[in-house]
Amino acid sequence: MRMQRIVGQGIQALGANKMRTFFMMAGTIVGIAALTIIMALGKGTEKKVMKRVETFGPRAMMLIAGGGKNAGPDMTVTTLTMDDARAVREQVKDLEIVTPIAWRFRINVKYDANRYQAVFWGVEPSWHEAWNWYAAEGDGITDGDVATMARVCVIGQTIRRKLFGDSDPVGENIYVNKVRLTVKGVLEKKGTSPMGTDFDNRIIVPITTAMRRVLNVDHVGAIRIITRDAALMPRQIKEIRALIHARHHITPPQEDDFRIASPVSIAKMARGTSRTLSILLIALAGLSLIVGGVVLMNILLISVGERQKEIGLRRAVGATRRDILFQFLAESLTVTCIGMLAGSGLGALVTLILRQSTKIPIVLSWEPFALSLAFALLVGTFFGIQPARKAALLNPVETLR
Amino acid sequence: MIEVEGLEKTYFAGSVATPVLKGVSFRIDEGEYVAIMGTSGTGKSTLMNILGCLDKPTAGRYLLDGTDVVSLDDDALSGLRNEKIGFVFQQFHLLERATAMRSVMLPLIYADDYPENAEERAEKALAAVGLADRRQYRPNELSGGQQQRVAIARALITDPEIILADEPTGALDRKSGLEIMAIFKKLHRQGRTIILVTHDRALAENAQRIIVLEDGKIATDGAVEKQRDPDLELDTLGAGEDKK
Ligand SMILES: Nc1ncnc2c1ncn2[C@@H]1O[C@H](COP(=O)(O)OP(=O)(O)OP(=O)(O)O)[C@@H](O)[C@H]1O
Ligand SMILES: [Mg+2]
Repeated sequence: MRMQRIVGQGIQALGANKMRTFFMMAGTIVGIAALTIIMALGKGTEKKVMKRVETFGPRAMMLIAGGGKNAGPDMTVTTLTMDDARAVREQVKDLEIVTPIAWRFRINVKYDANRYQAVFWGVEPSWHEAWNWYAAEGDGITDGDVATMARVCVIGQTIRRKLFGDSDPVGENIYVNKVRLTVKGVLEKKGTSPMGTDFDNRIIVPITTAMRRVLNVDHVGAIRIITRDAALMPRQIKEIRALIHARHHITPPQEDDFRIASPVSIAKMARGTSRTLSILLIALAGLSLIVGGVVLMNILLISVGERQKEIGLRRAVGATRRDILFQFLAESLTVTCIGMLAGSGLGALVTLILRQSTKIPIVLSWEPFALSLAFALLVGTFFGIQPARKAALLNPVETLR
Repeated sequence: MIEVEGLEKTYFAGSVATPVLKGVSFRIDEGEYVAIMGTSGTGKSTLMNILGCLDKPTAGRYLLDGTDVVSLDDDALSGLRNEKIGFVFQQFHLLERATAMRSVMLPLIYADDYPENAEERAEKALAAVGLADRRQYRPNELSGGQQQRVAIARALITDPEIILADEPTGALDRKSGLEIMAIFKKLHRQGRTIILVTHDRALAENAQRIIVLEDGKIATDGAVEKQRDPDLELDTLGAGEDKK
């Protein structure tokens, strides 16, 4: 086919001047490599975000003591109380569960000579339901335990292993912060969070026991709230915020002494860090593609000038204007398409190295490849058309003189 | 067959008009070997470009094998050049960095039907100009005379009716020039129409007929009494060198 032969002429011309071809290609390579990395990064981030949201609970909210941005509650803030939990439960509609949690990040647990540090949560029975996390052996926390301030606890798998090894922990007494508690159950295994926290390094006790006997406090660290319908969440968050503002006598420019985490805020936080990097890479990709395109166009324009005699000769032996146009477009598109392949390869390589050497979550997929191809065709056509037209419109008589 | 009548060409540069051809008429039959002569600037190349369908006259008629060339559009002219005309330029104009084979095959790229035996034809064309052993040479590995012979092979590959040569020996030494003229002679003997532009009377006398242009018009148009024989001249040139 004539078209095939003409594309072939373009490719031969590129091959005859490899240096020039490389300079035409450089921008596309860098731009597409950056694009590939961004897309992989973006996909990895989304995966991480989804996992975090899933772990948090898609219908869950956390009303957390302290207004800062830390992941956990601020232990020095004492204003969030059991009464706040009750008020939320009674006054905000369409909530399935409202369960307060007393909280201590690190607490010493001891059994015989074995010591360990655990995350300590004082909870109500609905906690099991709110986290969908139950006792695998023995029993969980009950209403009776809470009512009687029972000296009992349920331990996570890590603590069980550290303190008891292979023996049965149920019925044994352990010391938590020097308070003697009887192990009444062992929690199901939960594994590690995407951030690397061990969920199984946890001990839960009735909330009354935690507040009165172990921590000796009147406040709670957080209140976990499960809505009936995720769609209601934005309104409910507003209501809860207004309610707590009123109860804590806070008027807005004044700083909050609590904050509400939701799947939306969790996702935002999870995206946070990779965002700047992504914006930087998008800028780099866009800039390289545009600068690369302009460079490509200029080299092609110079090339058309240098190759006037060749163009005239082709016309003399029978090339039509369209043949010349297509040859130069083919040169431009070949450059951007090969540049795209090289850029995709480079991007994939960098991505793999990043994944090996850092904790940045990265997912390789075919989409960036398809997008890159689209960009290559776009850049090749957009920046190639002007030189190609210039070549096609040359007057053969004048170029051959 | 070429038939031109009242051919005029005027160049316009802004408001300045430069009339170059001012009414040229002649007829060249198939198989003729014609030289076009004239001093520099009289419009020989201009005429050549029109005959080669690269340019259009400002006025006048041009029939090529009965086709009215003046009325054709650019694409049709390209097709006509590809099919019927073989150009040989003073400056060879080979593809830079391309082998002789690729340069010779270039016109086939733009042929309506790419022949299956393209390579074979290129080899034959190169053999016809005595370069069978230089197929893979690039322009910078060839002498001027050899480059011009590659250009002639390129002109021959589409098997055109007419060879248009504009000062084909202008950039060559005497011996290489004679070799080129010997090739034209051979092509003429094979029945091809050859139009040769030159300002050198000795070269023009290789042709059967000489048209002399003067001030944009035909001054004389007549047969050559005694055609030169480039092969003989090459022999004597060789003998002369032997004596030294
Ligand atoms: N594009 C153009 N614009 C204006 N004038 C032109 C153009 N092309 C050619 N000319 C003029 O036309 C005249 C004839 O030019 P042409 O090249 O045909 O001469 P020639 O007979 O081939 O000369 P030479 O023997 O030097 O090759 C010259 O005076 C030249 O300056
Ligand atoms: Mg000339």
